Amino acid sequence: MTQANLDAFQVIADPSRRQMLVLLSKESMTINSLAENFDMSRPAVSKHIKIMYTAGFITITDVGRERYCTLKKDGFSELQEWIDFFDKFWISKLKKLEALLNKKTK
Amino acid sequence: MSKEIKHNLFFEHSPEVVWDYLTKPELIEQWLMKNSFQPKVGCQFQFFMSPMPDHKFDGNMHCTVVELIPLKKLTYTWKCGPGDGSINLDSVVTWTLHERDNGTELQLVHDGFKILEDYFMFTAMNAGWLMNMQKIPTLINNAKNDTGKS
Repeated sequence: MTQANLDAFQVIADPSRRQMLVLLSKESMTINSLAENFDMSRPAVSKHIKIMYTAGFITITDVGRERYCTLKKDGFSELQEWIDFFDKFWISKLKKLEALLNKKTK
Repeated sequence: MSKEIKHNLFFEHSPEVVWDYLTKPELIEQWLMKNSFQPKVGCQFQFFMSPMPDHKFDGNMHCTVVELIPLKKLTYTWKCGPGDGSINLDSVVTWTLHERDNGTELQLVHDGFKILEDYFMFTAMNAGWLMNMQKIPTLINNAKNDTGKS
């Protein structure tokens, strides 16, 4: 598996991972309690968790024997960066359009 | 934090003039990008921009015309990926024109960031909420320390 380095969009492109993030947006959960919500093997859940962890969407904290997953800002910031990128992109393009049309005789 | 991009502009030109700049490839290129646009619903076309390998973007924006109401509305999908056929970013661009007495109002909405839908279901996902989230590990650590003591 070469999935360890997925980017933020690839991470959330998977419905199971999105659902895990939605669950985690309500509260921190142990990997076990998270796994109970999904009809998949425990190793499959662990694989998703590893992907989300690597991409900066969650942190994992060991508490006794349990591993708690908590949402982390970094992964989400990358998504926001894309939207910010296109916002700036459009502002600069629209300025060009404005300049072109303003020059044009009516 | 916003889930859509929206801009309004006003031009002292008729909708016909503004529409041309949205639908004629050679005019689009003058202000936006090189493209293979054709004003036909279902038309698949591309915008060509600079690749951004850091963001796994090969520089080609893959679009399909979804809606086209001459002089009023133009909608196309806006998708891109790393170049291996997969799509990282899936969104929609909509242009709306309104004729006014002395010109045309143009609105751009870039939204429908599809794979972000659930992400934005985290309605409370704002800076404050993120800060709250970051408190959680501290809480867990505190709990852990308490357990350690007992």
